[in-house]
This record gives sequence, structure tokens and C-alpha cells, in this order.
Amino acid sequence: MSNTLIKLENIEKVFYTEDVETHALSNITLTINKGEYVSISGPSGCGKSTLLSLLGLLDTSTNGHYQLANHDVSDISKKERARIRNMEIGFIFQSFNLISDLDVEENVDLPLTYRKDLSKEERKIMVKNALDKVDMGHRANHFPSQLSGGQQQRVAVARAIAGNPSMILADEPTGNLDSKNAAAVMALLAKLHAEGATICMVTHDPRSAEQAERTIEILDGQVVADHVKAPATKIATAVA
Amino acid sequence: MIIQDFKYALRLLAKKPGFTALTTLVMAAGIGLSVYMFSFFNTVLYKDLPFENGDSIITISGSQNGTKTESKVNILDYEAIEKSIKGLSEFGAYYNQSVNVAGRDGARRYNGVFAQENIFEITRTKPLLGREFTTAETLTGAELVVVISYDLWQNQLGGDAKVLDQNIQINSESYRVIGVMPQGYFFPNVAQLWLPLKNNLNELTREQSVSVRGIAHINSGVSLEEIDTQLSVIMTRIAVQYPETNTGIGAYATTIPGSGAGNGQGVIYSMHIVAVFILVLASINVGNLLLSRAIERGKETAIRVALGAPRSRLISQMLWESIIICCFGGVIGLLVAAWGLEISEAITATFFIDPPAFWWKFGLDAYTIKLFLAIVVGTILVTGLLPAWKNSGGDFNAVLRDGTRGALGKKAGRLNKLLVISEIFISMAVLIAASVMVYAAYKQSNYDIGANTDNTLTARVILSESDYDTDEKKVQFSQQLKSRLENGLGVESVMLASALPGDYALKTSIAIEGKEYTQNKNTSFPKVNYISIMPEALAKLGVELKQGRYFNNTDHGLDKSSVLVSESFVKANFVDESPIGKRLRVTNNDEVKWLSIIGVVENTIQGNRETKGLPTIFRPFTQLPRNQISIAIKMKADQSVVTNTLRKTLQSIDPQLPSFKIETYEQSNERYTAPILFISKLISLFGLAAAFLAASGIYGVMSNTINQRTQEIGIKRALGADEDIITKEYLMTGFKQLLWGGIPGILAGTGMGFAMSQTFGTGNFSLIIIAVTTTVFIGAIVMYATYAPTQKALQLEPSDALHYE
Ligand SMILES: Nc1ncnc2c1ncn2[C@@H]1O[C@H](COP(=O)(O)OP(=O)(O)OP(=O)(O)O)[C@@H](O)[C@H]1O
Ligand SMILES: [Mg+2]
Repeated sequence: MSNTLIKLENIEKVFYTEDVETHALSNITLTINKGEYVSISGPSGCGKSTLLSLLGLLDTSTNGHYQLANHDVSDISKKERARIRNMEIGFIFQSFNLISDLDVEENVDLPLTYRKDLSKEERKIMVKNALDKVDMGHRANHFPSQLSGGQQQRVAVARAIAGNPSMILADEPTGNLDSKNAAAVMALLAKLHAEGATICMVTHDPRSAEQAERTIEILDGQVVADHVKAPATKIATAVA
Repeated sequence: MIIQDFKYALRLLAKKPGFTALTTLVMAAGIGLSVYMFSFFNTVLYKDLPFENGDSIITISGSQNGTKTESKVNILDYEAIEKSIKGLSEFGAYYNQSVNVAGRDGARRYNGVFAQENIFEITRTKPLLGREFTTAETLTGAELVVVISYDLWQNQLGGDAKVLDQNIQINSESYRVIGVMPQGYFFPNVAQLWLPLKNNLNELTREQSVSVRGIAHINSGVSLEEIDTQLSVIMTRIAVQYPETNTGIGAYATTIPGSGAGNGQGVIYSMHIVAVFILVLASINVGNLLLSRAIERGKETAIRVALGAPRSRLISQMLWESIIICCFGGVIGLLVAAWGLEISEAITATFFIDPPAFWWKFGLDAYTIKLFLAIVVGTILVTGLLPAWKNSGGDFNAVLRDGTRGALGKKAGRLNKLLVISEIFISMAVLIAASVMVYAAYKQSNYDIGANTDNTLTARVILSESDYDTDEKKVQFSQQLKSRLENGLGVESVMLASALPGDYALKTSIAIEGKEYTQNKNTSFPKVNYISIMPEALAKLGVELKQGRYFNNTDHGLDKSSVLVSESFVKANFVDESPIGKRLRVTNNDEVKWLSIIGVVENTIQGNRETKGLPTIFRPFTQLPRNQISIAIKMKADQSVVTNTLRKTLQSIDPQLPSFKIETYEQSNERYTAPILFISKLISLFGLAAAFLAASGIYGVMSNTINQRTQEIGIKRALGADEDIITKEYLMTGFKQLLWGGIPGILAGTGMGFAMSQTFGTGNFSLIIIAVTTTVFIGAIVMYATYAPTQKALQLEPSDALHYE
């Protein structure tokens, strides 16, 4: 069994609006292995978010092939895509995207409720574990509006990891946070990675990018650089 | 500043003409319909009579077994009431009776009122010419005098200036004219002449004395309920004393216009509730449209607040929009209502042979204008203040901060839910009520009255007591009329009766031989319609024989005593035994005459279709002749030919005898269902408006809500919810709102429907069917209004939904 989690081949994404065609991504070929911590960076509008959406099956590519855990997912049904998002992928957004009508516990529980194989008790334990990991267990019954931005993002991280997905996709997770809160979230991601999670993170912040063991740079919808750091260094930074 | 805000609002409205037109029209519909409804019923039932102290005039009518039957009260009972009741003054009494008045070109029938001498004083109205009655003129044996109406004076007497002290022939007796009432005076209702009511009370027994309607002034500060309580005590006391005549008989007080409501109170309340509901529905819709516009401009408002605009300014700006829409829409609505009222005057006039009650003057009266102004202010407050206050008072900081992503604010979400729930509630209630009414009207106009009405001309004559003072003369007249008519041009057959099937008939109470009538509170002798009919007429009219035999030639003779009863009579009075050969007697006669049942015929309906269930008994006209004769002629020629034959024949028998109400049998029957058909058309208009407003309103709010939740849908899909889960979730919230609004809606609707079925006897089963159908209909609307926008939101790729603004 190979260690490859994601395999993109000649991925292209074109947006058609009115009379403008935007080539957001062109000719992306990329492989990401299980357990990798990848940061994606590049100037605004270069296609980072678009790439992440494709990786997360939130959108479909115009051309090319996408293999996720050795299955071609370019042409699967919407239902199947939803199932994969639910089981295999955890999202963290720049703007937290918690649901304001639901309290912290319910927000974290939300993706688990879409699974049919979990009992209420199991879900309760998973939610508790996830919240404990981000150190938000004491706020389980607060509503998002009663939390600071940093706290909200920690809840969002808990929601992303609650179902033990095989990868975490984060789009500028620290973009709306001050440096202290940003550092806390980054430490959280590092910890998750140390525990074996695969992470793809879009970021503007060079210091955040530093944390990742692999950095991909994009320009005008194309991969222009792809560096891999030595794994040892990475673990050392994370522990320190 | 105010001018500036006003101009700003105008500019905003002008920028979106479609929106402005829609909201204005919705408001016009809401205001127009409810103003019309309130004004209509106010004119018919609640308006103060146009006399000095007209607001305190009340009337006392009789009830039976607790049902307000609008019947008259025995004058001896009324005298007892007069003696012991507190809170009323200036007691008067009257009863209506049609009379024939001879004139230069033949006799005509007029609405007479036999009244005590103070009838004019009660209305504070003096005769135009001459004087009122004196007490002496109300005693038996006094000179016969009459006060005539302006119309009668003008039409029948040619407006003769020397009309006073002239003698006119009324029911073939000579009456001296002592007064002429002013133009437009028809008190108490549609009177055309007034005769003294002879009241030598102490000489009479209850069986012999006349029944009257009481009139009086209610003292200020006394309520009708207080009077009713006293009436109930007094009438119970009399019933204990005179059980034979008074068991189960009660009395109640209403205003004179209000007496028209009878037992239809439930219907009238329902109509008013429906009117209010439509107004609320319109206001909610407009309010919601304005609110969603305000939300669209939320950012702008937030920036203004941040820049320091005082809240009052913002409210004023938003309020102006509502003011413009409500005033403009209101004026349109008012004009439409005025037009509707004008039409109603013409339509309601067709309900009656006589002119309608004199206070039925529909139009934009003071009450309507006042109500209109109140409604406009109310709608402005509801449609304007709510969104204005909500929006300007909101946490502008949150709006600017861009809040929590992807979801509606909790409060806005709750308000939307409340809007949908109220729309469901109202539309459900209104639709159920309207459907019951329409169904009742449909049923009533399709009732089998028991006779075949095809190609038949009907007319009525009233024989005067003085010319036809013996039963023999009446029988002779009827036989002569029948045989002459039958030989007349265009006549196929002739049927004579005191009342034809479908028409009001004399009611009486009866007792069956060998039965005990307990005298506890609620059982009196059974009431029946009591009809005299020419022996062969029942068969000719198509009233089917069910048992025994029809009347035949052996039944002629004033000394004979045969009676036919209806099936409903058998059902009510005989369990498992044959009615043939059983005997019954009429209880309000002094002499006891036992009548033998010789047969059973199918049920007929006599009078108001609501009294459908009342059994009928028939006597041969040749055994029991009556003064009032209805004529039915099966025609084999054109209606005008037959009408002419009828006129000539009558003239040749008795030139003093006017025939009136000449119309086809069908027309005569339609008159009974015309009011309910009118009301049902009216309410179905409301039902349509409710369905339309609710459907568009629910769809509007729902699609708004779901639109605003597009981001939330995106998040949920990112977290792995597939389309089915999202669809189910939203359908579920839609369904919950359907329950929240629908259950109270069904309760309110069936409540009103029940009130109506009580009046119209439509039955509970049809009520259930209607409630279920309405629920399915509104349910479908709600589900569609949820489903369609959800699917639209799901069409977006999740990544797009996440970035949806
Ligand atoms: N739904 C869409 N419709 C049309 N064009 C789109 C859509 N989404 C993105 N684009 C375009 O595709 C390009 C890439 O957008 P993308 O959001 O991936 O940029 P980004 O790298 O994430 O930028 P940023 O750092 O500012 O978030 C941009 O030019 C953008 O305008
Ligand atoms: Mg981006």
C-alpha cells in the first residue's frame, strides 16, 4: 500500500462569469503523502483557496484527475463527495464559520450527526475529546457570539478534528487572529500533525509557513515552488 | 429635516417601482377588504338609528329553548316584563302585518305596523302632517285611524294636500288618516303605514292575545346583558305560572338593527375576525418586504449609525416609506371599498321584495372614515415601526464586524419564523372559515325543498278579514280562483296553499294523543310548520307520498280533520310505530280538535334554509282555509301571458284584492339563499386574498430566510452534509413552522367553521374534510416555499455557497 494520500494530475479550474473566463488554476500536478504538513502560499488571487476547495471536494475541477487515497474522485456523485468530506476531511476557515444558532458542543457535533454509524454516546465522547484537545471543554455550552476570535477558531479546529479525518484543510486559519491567538492555533495544528494528521494550510504569513515541513508556492494558478524541509527540524520546532 | 426624510423615502420608492407597486397593492387589498367588511356589517347591524336618542332604542324578541328565534313575545308576557324590568324606559310594542290598501287604480299590499301610541315618540319624530295616535284610539271599539308614510301618501293617494281626515280602505274597512310621517321614515323597519295596536290586556288570555315585538329605550349605563339576565328571570317565572303556553319560551334584547343577526352571531364574529386577519396578513407581508429591504440596506444603516446618525432620524426615514405606502394603498383601498359598498346596496336590495331596512345605507359614513384612519395608522405602525426599530436598534457594531459567518442573526431568524407562523395561522383560519361558508351556501342553494319548481309562476294574495269573514267564504274564493285560473290562458295546472314548499309557513306547536309532555325547563310541545293546501296540490307540486294516502275529495269539508305529516315529523315523534291513524292536536287553539294522520309525505323546507329540520304538517285548504294564499301556476305559455291571466282572473273575482310577489317559483326560492350566496362570495374573496397573500408572503419570507442561510448551507456541506440531509433539515423546519402556525390555525378556523355550521347546519364531517383539505393546501405551499429555495441554494457548489454574500 502506497503512502500517497492525494494525487493531482493536470488539474485545471476555469471560472466562467458573464463574459470573463478566469483561469484560476492551470496544469497543477501534485502529490501529497499521508502525515505531511503542507503550507500553500502565494499572492492574493493566485488560486490558493481554489486549490484547497478542489482538494476538499467543495468544488470540481474543469479538467484533470484527482485521486484521494487511491480512488479517483474526479467523477463521483455529489452524495459520495459529501460522504468523503464528512469522513476524511476536516475544514478550518479564516472566518471560523461556526453556526451561530448552535452552541460550541453542537457545532463540534454537527459533522458527526451526518454519520449514521455513530451512537449518541459515541458522539458525545468524540466531541468531548475534540474540545479537550483544543482546551475548550469548559466552554461547551457557550454560543459562538460569546467567544473571542481565538476561542472561536479553536472550536472550529475541534470541529475539524472531531471525526478523525485523514486530512485537515485550513484556509488562512490565523488570518483573522492577533499574533498571540494565531500562535496558539498554529501550535494546535503542530500538535495535531505530531499526532499523525495530514494538514494542508493556505497562509500568507511566512512565519506560519515556516512551521510546515513542505511549502508549495503558487503564482497565477501554477505551482512555482515546492520545498521539503527535513522532518526532524519540524518536530523539534513543534515540541519547542 | 422631516421634508428631507420624506423626499429620501420617495426617492427610494421611486427607484424600485415594482416593489412600490406590489406593497401598495397588497396594502390596498388589505385595507380595502377590511374597511368594506366592517362598514358593511356596521351599516346592517350596528349603526345607531338616525333619530335623536336613536342609540338607546332596543327591541325585545322571543326565544325558544334558549335559541334566539327572532319571534314575537306574547303581549301579556311583555306587560309582565314592562312591570318588573329595571333599566328600560318608554316601553312600546308593535307587530307587522301586510294590509291591502284600496286606491284609485286598484288595491295594493303595504307593510302595516300595528303599534302602541308612543311608537313615534320613541323615535322623537313628529308627523309631517297631522298627529300621532292617542291612547283612546288604541282601545277596542275606538274609531279606526291610520298614520301613513310619505311614500304611501305620494304614490297611493297622489300626494293630496288635503289627505288628513280622508278615509281610506284598509283590508276593506274604512280608516281615517290622522297623520303623515316624514319622508324616509319607516320605523321600526320597512313600515308604510301605522295602525293602533288594540291592547285591552286584562280581557284576554294568553291563548287569545297577540304577540308583539317590544321596543324601549335602554337607560345609559345599562348593558344588554343585564337586561337579558332580568328577562330570563322574568320569563322563567311566567313559565312556571303558565306552563301550557310558556314552557321553553324566553325573551332577549337587542338593538333593532342587531336583531337581524338572530342566531348568526357566530358567522358575523367570524366575518369580522376574517377581516382583521386579512389586514394583519397584508401588514405582515408589507412589513416583511420593508424589513428585507431594510436588511438589504443594513450595512448602509450601520455606517450611518457609526457616523452618529440619531436613532430617531433613522426611524423617521424608514417610517416615511411605510407612511407613503400605507396612505397611498389605503386611499386606493378606500375607493374600492366605497365602490363595493355602493354595489352592495344594489345587491342587498334584491334580497327582499320590500325595500331593505331603512338604515341600510351603505357608503363612506363617518364610522367608515374613522375606522379607515385608525386602520391606516395601525398599518403604518405595524409595517413601519417594527422594521425601523429592529433595524436601527440592532447591534450596528455586529453588522460592521461581519459577525459570525454563515448564519442569520438569532433574532432575525426568530422574527422570520414568527412571520411565517402567523401567515400560516391566518391563512389557515381564513381559508377554513371561507370554505365552510362557501360550502354552506352551495349546500343551501341546492337543498331539495321538496317540490318541483320548474316552469312555475307564483303569487300571493291576502284575503281581508272583513270581506272574507267566514271559512266558507274563503273556501269558496279558493275554489273559484282555482277553477277560473285553470281555464285561463297559458295555465296548465294551479296549486293553492297557505305557503308553498320553500316559503315561510305559519308555525304552531302540537301535541300527539297519548304522549306526555313533561314540563321541565327545556321541553315544550314540538313546533311544526302548519300549512293548508288544496287537496291535489301536493301531488302536483311533486311532494312525494311516502306512506298512506294523499288528500282527496273525501277530505273536503270544514268539519273534517285529516292531516298529512312530513317524514321528519314521523322520525321525531314516532319510534318504530306506524303514524297512520294516530291523532294529534294543535296546542295554541282553545278548542281541542283531534286530527287523524292519513299519510306521510317527503320533507319540505319552509322559509330560512337554516330551519330545514323543522317538520311540517299539512291540512286540506278546504278543511282549514287561511287568509294568506300562495298561488303556484304550472305554465304552458310565456310568463307574461300567465301573469296577465292571473291579474285578470283575480280582478274578475274581487277587484279589491291585490296580488303581490308575482315571480317564478325559482326566483322566490333564490331569495332565501341570496344573502348567504352574497356573504359566501364575499368571504371567498377574502379566502382568495388570504391564499394569495399567504402564499406569496410565506414564499417571500422562506426564500429570504434560506437565501440568508446560503453560507450556513455551504458550511454544513463542507462538513459533509449531503443534499438529502440539507433538504430534509429545511423541510423539517418548514414542517415545524407549519405545525406551529397550522395547529392554532386549524383550531381558530374550525372554531369559526363550527360557529357557521351551527347556524347553517353544514355538519361536522364536512368541517373535518375542509380542515384537512386546507391543511394539505397550506402545507403544500409551505413545503414548496421551503423546498424550492433550498434546491436553489444547493445548486451552488459548496465553495461558492461559502462565499455567498
Ligand atoms: N466563484 C468564482 N467565480 C469566478 N471567479 C472566481 C471564483 N472564485 C475565485 N475566482 C477567481 O479565481 C482566482 C483565484 O481565486 P482564489 O480565491 O483561489 O484566490 P486566493 O489565492 O485564495 O486569494 P486570496 O489570498 O486573496 O484569498 C481569482 O482571480 C478569483 O477572482
Ligand atoms: Mg483565499
